[in-house]
Formats: sequence, C-alpha cells, structure tokens
Amino acid sequence: MTHTIFKSIKLINPATNFNQKVNVVIQNETIINISKDLNLEKFNKDNQTIIYDCEGLTMSPGIFDMRVNIGKTENLKFTQITAAESGITSMAILPNQTPKLNNPSIIDHIKRQSEDINLPKVMVYGAATKDLNGLEMSEIGLMSEMGAIGFTNGNKSIKNSLVMRRLMSYATMINRPIIQHAEDDDLSGLNQASTTSIRGEMNEGEISTRLGLIGIPACAEVIMIERDIRLAKLTGAHYHVAHVSTRDAVNVIREAKKLGLSITCDTAPPYFSLNESKLLTYNTAFKLSPPLRSEDDRIAIIEGIQDGTIDAIASDHRARSKDTKAQPFSAASVGASGIETLFSITLDLVHKKIIDINKAISFLTINPAKILGIDSPSLEEEKVADFIVFDENEPHTIKQKNLKTSPTPFDGKKIHSKILATYINGQVAFMNQIFKNKIIK
Amino acid sequence: MNKLLKNNYEVNKSSPVKLSSHHLLAIEGMQKSEIQKLLDRADYFANLDKHTDTKYLSGYVVLNVFFENSTRTRVSFELAARRLGAEVINISLINSSIKKGESLLDTASTLNAMKPDLLIVRHPHSGAPLLFAEYLSCSIINAGDGRHEHPTQALLDALTIKRRIGYLEGLKISICGDIANSRVARSNIHLLTTMGAEVRCVAPLTLMPLNLEKLGVKCFNDMKEGIKDADVVMLLRLQNERMSGTENPSEREYFKFFGLDETKLSMASPNAVIMHPGPMNRGVEIASALADDTNRSLIKTQVEMGVAVRMSIIEALNHSKNKT
Repeated sequence: MTHTIFKSIKLINPATNFNQKVNVVIQNETIINISKDLNLEKFNKDNQTIIYDCEGLTMSPGIFDMRVNIGKTENLKFTQITAAESGITSMAILPNQTPKLNNPSIIDHIKRQSEDINLPKVMVYGAATKDLNGLEMSEIGLMSEMGAIGFTNGNKSIKNSLVMRRLMSYATMINRPIIQHAEDDDLSGLNQASTTSIRGEMNEGEISTRLGLIGIPACAEVIMIERDIRLAKLTGAHYHVAHVSTRDAVNVIREAKKLGLSITCDTAPPYFSLNESKLLTYNTAFKLSPPLRSEDDRIAIIEGIQDGTIDAIASDHRARSKDTKAQPFSAASVGASGIETLFSITLDLVHKKIIDINKAISFLTINPAKILGIDSPSLEEEKVADFIVFDENEPHTIKQKNLKTSPTPFDGKKIHSKILATYINGQVAFMNQIFKNKIIK
Repeated sequence: MNKLLKNNYEVNKSSPVKLSSHHLLAIEGMQKSEIQKLLDRADYFANLDKHTDTKYLSGYVVLNVFFENSTRTRVSFELAARRLGAEVINISLINSSIKKGESLLDTASTLNAMKPDLLIVRHPHSGAPLLFAEYLSCSIINAGDGRHEHPTQALLDALTIKRRIGYLEGLKISICGDIANSRVARSNIHLLTTMGAEVRCVAPLTLMPLNLEKLGVKCFNDMKEGIKDADVVMLLRLQNERMSGTENPSEREYFKFFGLDETKLSMASPNAVIMHPGPMNRGVEIASALADDTNRSLIKTQVEMGVAVRMSIIEALNHSKNKT
C-alpha cells in the first residue's frame, strides 16, 4: 500500500509534549514513521508515494468536540461531514435530540449509524433521567455497556438533589461522569412551569435593564455547582460542569479541585470571546444558554483557561434554523452553531498570547478525552493516523454565508488559522484546495 | 385664535421636524435637539384649533398594527394620522395570524407588500419593532414593545410637563411603581435625563431592575424619600399581566407603601403635579381622589397631548424619509 509523506511539518502532540518540525509518514490507517531526516528511498520504492510539502504548516491530533447538539436542522451524517471539514475527528453528542438518547438500543443504533470509518467518530451521552424528566434514573448501566460515555440531562440541569445524589453514586460504580448544565432554572425563570412573564432571556445587568429583556442572574449557575460539589464530595463521583460562563463558577470549581475532588469542566468559545454587550441590537444569534455574560465574567473564563481550572473547550454546537432566529428576541430559539468555528476561535487565544499552542491543542484533544475516559489521541509511530493539518498564519474573516450551519455568533470576526486537511483512520476526510496544491508528486 | 391654513403653514415659525432616522424606535440614542424640535412642533399642533386644516399628508397610508390590546394609544395615533389627512387602517393581530402559526416577519412583509408609508407597531416582545425596521422599507413607530420602550408616551409626558411648568431642565421628577416591567419608565428615563431633569425612580426592590442607576437616575425604595421636593410625581401601572406572583404580596400592601396618597404627596414640592400613563388602578398606585384632583393631576392633559405629539412625529418621519 502506498505511503503518504508530510514533509517538513510542525508536529504538535500534547500527549508527549512534542512540538518540532519533522517528516511524518503514514500508511493505511497508521503513522509508520516520524523523523527529522527523511529517507525518501525507503518510503518511495514503488514511486507511488504521495508527498506534501508542509513547510510552514502544522499537524496535530484531530479535535475531540465533547459537546455537540444535533438539532432539527441537521442529521448526524451532515454534522459529521461538517465536523470533518472543521478539523474534528471525534465528537460527543447530547441526549436531548429527537428521539431522545435514553435507552441502550438507541445508543447502539446511533453508534452503528455513525460507523463510517472515514467520518468523525461519534460518541454518545445517555440521558441521565428517564425521558430527561429529571425525576427517575434511566438505565445508565445498560447504556454504558452499549458505549455511552457519560450521562446528562443535556441542556436542562439535573435539579432534584436526591436524583442527583443517586445518579452520582450509581455512575461512580460504572466509572462514568455525570455532566451538568448548571442552572437553577427556578431562578432563571426557565423551569417547565415558568410563565412567559418571568422566562429569563439574557444575563441580568445594566444591558438587560436597558433592553427590557428578562435577566438571568449570573448566580443561577454557581448555585447549582455549589450544591453539586457537595454531592460529589458525598458520593465520590466524577462531576463535570458543561459550558462554564461565570466568574463565581470558575472560583468555586478552582477551590473544589484544590480539595482533590473529581471535578472537571469545559467552556465554549462564546464565553471566552464575547460578552453580553453583543445583545444591544437584539441580535438573536447571541441568544445562548447559558447567556453571554458580563465582561468581568469573560475575563474570569480566560483566567480559568490559563490556570487550568477549565479543562477543555467544546463547541457547544446547537445550530438553529433561520426561521426560528428571525423572531423578536423573546420568541427566538436558543443556541448557535459552533463546530465550524471551534478551532479558529480557540486558536485566537494563541494569537492573542493568552495560551501557547500546545495548551490550546490540549484543550481540544487530550483534555476532553481524559475527562471522558477515552484513549488520548497521540501522534506517534504505530498509532492511528487521526490528525489535522492547519495553517497558523492564514488571516481571514468568518462569514455566515460561507458556513454550512447557522447562526454563528462570530460573523465578521477576523481570525488567523485555517484547517487545511483532516485525516481519519489514515484516510482523507477533508482536504481543501490550498493543501491539494502542496503535493510534490 | 390660530387660523392657519394649509397654504400659509410654511410661514409659521414651527415647521416639520427633520430627524436623523425615518423610524422612531426608541428614545435612547435620540439627540436633545431632535426631542426639543419634536416638542416645539407638537406644542404648535396642541395650540391649533381642532378645526384647523392640518391635512398635509393626504395619500399617506398608515397601518396601526397592534399585537397587544390598546385603546388610548391606538385611538390617539389614529386621530393624529387622520388630522394630518392620512389614511389609517387599524389591524389587531392579537388573535389572528399569530395563532395560525405565521411568523412575525411573514406577517410584517405581507403588510409591507401593501406599500404603507408608516407602520405603527405595538408588540409584547421587547425589540420587535427593531426587527420590523430591519426588514421592511416603510417607516416604523414603536408604539410600545414589551418592557423596552414607549417613545411617544415619553414625548407626550414631556410636552405635558413643559406646558404646565414651562421647562424640563433641572426639574425633580420621580417615576414611581413597576419600573421593572415598564416601557414607559425606560423611555421617560432616557428622555428626561437627556433633557437635563433630575430623575428618581421609586419601586419595591422586586420591581426595580438591576443596575438602573447606570441609566443616570437615583433609585429609592422609600416612596416618601423618593418624592421629597419632587416637581413631578409620575406613577406607573402595576402590570400584573407581566408578573409571576413573587413580586408583591398584595395590592393593599402595595398601596400602603407605594400608592400615592395625600400623606406621601405632602413630601413633594407644594406645586407638584401628578401624572399617570394609564390605564390606572385606582386605590393601587394612586388614591382615587388624587387622580381626579384637576389642580394637581395632569392625567387628562397627557391624553390630550398624545394626539399633538403623534402628529408631530408622523409628520417628522414623513419629512425625514423624503429628504434622505
């Protein structure tokens, strides 16, 4: 079988803390050689070898996006293809889709449906409670056997304290994390019984007061996390907080980690790159859950990323149709697309010298894998060739019209890095024209 | 007596106002000079004899599109438009297209296809008129959107005060009641602070929106303190339809602490005037006798000024569109 050679490429491999310019040779689904001095004759015996001149380009493990909503505007295959084009080689999907992922057979079905070796691997979170009702534990042991990697109520919090306690205890037995969307939904006015007169629409503060929109206080997040930390202490569970958005939440998680509790968390690009002032024109692309917070909260998220309180960055992808967004703010749907911008917005942190590139890649690859107990991707000889090739210095502008999913909260944002190719199991899952032109022979 | 006719209206000192936009969506962001000109022009209209010919806008088509119940605002806009000679069509959409599942923008573009010159919109959702303005080609007036703004109410309140007291700058004006749910309060805060008045807001903490002081007002939870030496006491309706039952223990308790009665009013300036955008809950925000005290209550004048203010705005939007 022919070889493919990536000549003079900067290889970043967080698992081995490697960051050097090398030549990488792959054959079939495996990386067979990584070396500084390329022995062309050895790999080009049949003259069929493909060689790419990768001077100035970078290779890293493919992204593991640990939080993806498959909404009504998408189907799984479409999302997988879009993810591959965005540098994602594995993704974990939430149970709050239609139908709900709340029993072992549907978990099995999704796994089989998505088993295309040339597309991103799909991992599944099972519904923590039956029908996501928040009241009774679902069959998390059986779902776990079918491959569910963690349990969550998706975009609703697990609110009942007893239910949460039992879930944590049970999940500890099967060695799986409980993932929480942390929000006191009574306080945010978003429980099922809340009338429209109190339904929270955005972060509470001066801007919600100006706009006459109903505010969600920032403490609605930390209240839930503080309770959960006490339950995690009681049960010894691995507790993971999704899309952390406030300073208080970061502070509380930082302290809990110091106590040695098994607590992890992630955030998403909107929460470290945008704040609530974006809502001043009632632009519904910025209607998210949790809502965009204050500038002080945004800075705290950055600090949490820098000091490692925040473990991972996920897209929190939740694409919505234009029709459900072209509405008055109160009536518009919640959520925004994310998979297509996850990589470039995260690398913007490197461009702004907030974190170094090794750390940025860790947040997108080995860190989420560690949280979910999956083999950490690592680009070494004899390992599977799941990787991306990108240009760290390719300035361009994100434009909604060039994206396949909507709405993006980053329309018009200038970014500096671009995915050129995605390889999954040694196969090209995506390659753009720029990279095709890098071929030497 | 004023007997100005259509022909010599140009020679009057007061002429149509030109605004920087052909929409009126909010007071926030409006220039002091624009507000001043609109008030002057409205003052001119208010002085005209009811039978004076002011039909400057014949052939102008106005759609009064109300997604929420309204009597006074709708009628006031209709009268204003008719006095300017415009064609007015009232459309109540509280129970029609919305229930059929048609999206707001589809409804709006259907109306737009009929080529109106002006859409007057009231909607229960904050920001809805901005969406109309973004997608439609005609002028838009915000006739009240959710908890956001009610710009024409603030303008008519300002005109009412000016005609009674003579000026706005430096006046102590206390806005009392359900600030959190009030679009009238927000528009008045922006307008009165822009015009240089000292604005205070009085409300129970449960009805006081967070960081309100950043809008340039002083906040009080004690009504007597809040209306001390006030020149104007502006009351707001308790908007029970926008509440969840956690804001207020009862109407009688509200009246005890936040309803305007003689005792509380005695704290204000001796010449203080009382205002209310209506509809009033007598015995809740205001003692019935005070509401009817024609020496102190300007509530009826407010309604009267509504027509003049809306005439000046409709005329200005037409003028601003033609010239841009």
